[in-house]
Amino acid sequence: MSTGSVEVVYRGIFQKTLAKNICRGVVFAAKKEGKIGTAFGRYSDSPERNGIPAKQFAVVSDTHDELQEHLARYEPDNNDVTIACDDALCKGVESWAWYGLQPINKLLKKGGTLLVTSFQSPNKLINFIHRKGEPYNLALVRAAASFSGLWVYKDDHTDARLLGALAKVAPHIVGIDAICEVIKEQWKDDLKVASARKTYEATETIPVSADQGNEEVPFEFEKPGWKTMEEGLVIRGISAEQQKVEGWEGGYVPTRNPTFKKFSTRTMRPVINFDTCIKCTLCWLQCPDSCFDITPDGLYDANMEACCGCGVCEAVCPVEDCVTMVNEEAFDDNASQWEMWVKDKKGYETWMTEKISDKPPRSHGFHHVGQYAEETADEST
Amino acid sequence: MSDVITETLDDYIKTQVLEAWKGPKTVPEQEYFTSGHRTCQGCESALVMKLMAKAAGPRTIILGSTGCMYVANTTYLSTPWSVPWMHTQLGSSGSAATGTAAGLRALMRKGKMEKERINVIAFCGDGGGADMGLSAISAALQHTEYNLLILMYDNESYANTDIQVSGSSPYGANSTFSPPGKERRIMHRRWKKNTAPMLAAGHPECKYVATVCMSYAVEAMNAVRKALSIGGPTFIHSLDPCPKGWDYDPMFSHELGELAVETGIWPLYEIEEGKIKMYGKSKRIVNGQMKRKPVQDYLLRQGRFAHFIDEDIEYFQAKTDEMWEKWLIPGVLPFSAEA
Ligand SMILES: Cc1ncc(C[n+]2csc(CCOP(=O)(O)OP(=O)(O)O)c2C)c(N)n1
Ligand code: SF4
Ligand code: SF4
Ligand code: SF4
Ligand SMILES: [Mg+2]
Repeated sequence: MSTGSVEVVYRGIFQKTLAKNICRGVVFAAKKEGKIGTAFGRYSDSPERNGIPAKQFAVVSDTHDELQEHLARYEPDNNDVTIACDDALCKGVESWAWYGLQPINKLLKKGGTLLVTSFQSPNKLINFIHRKGEPYNLALVRAAASFSGLWVYKDDHTDARLLGALAKVAPHIVGIDAICEVIKEQWKDDLKVASARKTYEATETIPVSADQGNEEVPFEFEKPGWKTMEEGLVIRGISAEQQKVEGWEGGYVPTRNPTFKKFSTRTMRPVINFDTCIKCTLCWLQCPDSCFDITPDGLYDANMEACCGCGVCEAVCPVEDCVTMVNEEAFDDNASQWEMWVKDKKGYETWMTEKISDKPPRSHGFHHVGQYAEETADEST
Repeated sequence: MSDVITETLDDYIKTQVLEAWKGPKTVPEQEYFTSGHRTCQGCESALVMKLMAKAAGPRTIILGSTGCMYVANTTYLSTPWSVPWMHTQLGSSGSAATGTAAGLRALMRKGKMEKERINVIAFCGDGGGADMGLSAISAALQHTEYNLLILMYDNESYANTDIQVSGSSPYGANSTFSPPGKERRIMHRRWKKNTAPMLAAGHPECKYVATVCMSYAVEAMNAVRKALSIGGPTFIHSLDPCPKGWDYDPMFSHELGELAVETGIWPLYEIEEGKIKMYGKSKRIVNGQMKRKPVQDYLLRQGRFAHFIDEDIEYFQAKTDEMWEKWLIPGVLPFSAEA
């Protein structure tokens, strides 16, 4: 008698179908093994928004009673496996709902496995992942975070690969034969079955000890109890005054919402070349998230606590290579780029050149009709 | 008796002059809709909120009908608003705006509030405005004794509930209610509702109706400023690229807004005291200074049209050509006089 649960953490909308395919695949495969299960999304993540971390779950049990017992909670919190469909989620998850930042391994049980799609080294990821205080395992699937949109799915086998890897790290939940059978049934594609089996064979886990990982205390805030909430569902507005920040006198730093920061939505961040900026204001004006702080010298610095990485600033900047979107994994903190530049312009140039040269491809969905077919053809050659 | 009313009107309808901003460098720094909303990456409707609030300034009350701009901006006791904001029901932007403007006036008349010009803006989505809220907006636009602005942010679907077709969804678009199938490719066959001209033509005493797109931010903010200066009820319709519902990489939000205008799909104009004035690239199109780009440059960049075949693109192009070549007022008024 046992229950197994899998938590799939993914980028809202971009990976919604991917996550659904994984969770449904687990449940169908478990059924082949004579168990029962259910796949579901977390209510508070809906309606999903592009990029904002969301979760789906697959829970599998031997009996109905066990399954129901497990489901009688808001979100399964003792998972055998947590799958992070995008490795930038290792920096923490601030979901649509009201949490602050949740470490990616928070709902993973002691000794469970965190499964991540990534081309990074395990050590690099462990440095991002918050310290758990309990030992667990890390397994990597060497695949790109597959992003597509609501209507057109990019079928690059990432779903099959993750299912294959899952069978390796948690055979007590589903075995590889059942997984392959289900993939064959659902997609009628032998290549996809082969992808699952190949990943199953290649997947290795490494142990992570209780005290390994990022020591940072994830951002939290005090939630009012029902007795402290104000009448009439009043929410206090944000101050329209600018923040007073040392060293920023004469510039303008708007006050921001302290209970939702949005940076964990980001998979890329803008890097700014302050030397070539012509102060045209367009990045500042067009950023939907009001991220740009105006510096005392009239430049524009994207605030990394607020930036969700949409890339609009890069698209609107009229100066070539003045704003460059760079993979989020290239950064360890949310520090101000402008402050770094002011302190040491030569040093900043070296830093910036290194960052913008490190540009592994990462697509945020649909660019044009036919693109996914071209991309998957490239990937398989 | 009528004199008394005129006097009262004079006191409270008195409007203000919010000068047009001359370019992006003259736009003030203050944000009244700031960071920390739960919209998608690259959400242009969020940009509407930011720029609308900036254009209106701090002495503004904003009312918002249900939709993405309510749900993503105020749930879980967390908000990016710094001006007073209140939720109103999905079809109620018109009534909420009228009621708030009337309430403010009554409080000022009774001396319970200092007399002051406070902007009242009600926003609604295309579903909440052009479909469900049409009658309430119509009523609001007839009440010439109140100063108010209704701004409809049009992401071309009922977006918040995961993208259902609305009367403002474009022909053929994929949505939760119109998934292309094997037998039937085009499930949504209605042409987009022509909302702004309908409201302008139907409410001859409404002094200002305009279309905007946030890719032309300064012009859009100046439209808000004019709407709040001219006096009486006003209406602005904004077209907002929506990366989730339209299915495209969020970095293209700004560019798709430009393409909507450049292809002629989204004409930009102001109808001010009965006079129509095209502006920006739409003016250049009408004057023959600029050729419209083919609609496929816009359509094939969005996953919601990925099922289109040549014949669908041709149909879309022909209908768009008609707007510019056959309509009485090109891009604006669809019928023409009998020959
Ligand atoms: C009377 C009513 N019917 C249905 C709903 C469910 N609902 C909530 S938001 C929404 C979509 C509104 O669409 P739109 O006005 O276009 O705004 P958007 O979500 O696109 O921003 C719907 C249907 C509701 N809240 N109230
Ligand atoms: S990527 Fe640029 S435009 Fe987008 S949220 Fe970040 S700073 Fe703003
Ligand atoms: S858009 Fe580019 S050039 Fe213009 S202010 Fe921003 S960084 Fe500078
Ligand atoms: S669904 Fe569209 S309108 Fe709604 S938050 Fe996302 S981008 Fe904005
Ligand atoms: Mg809508």
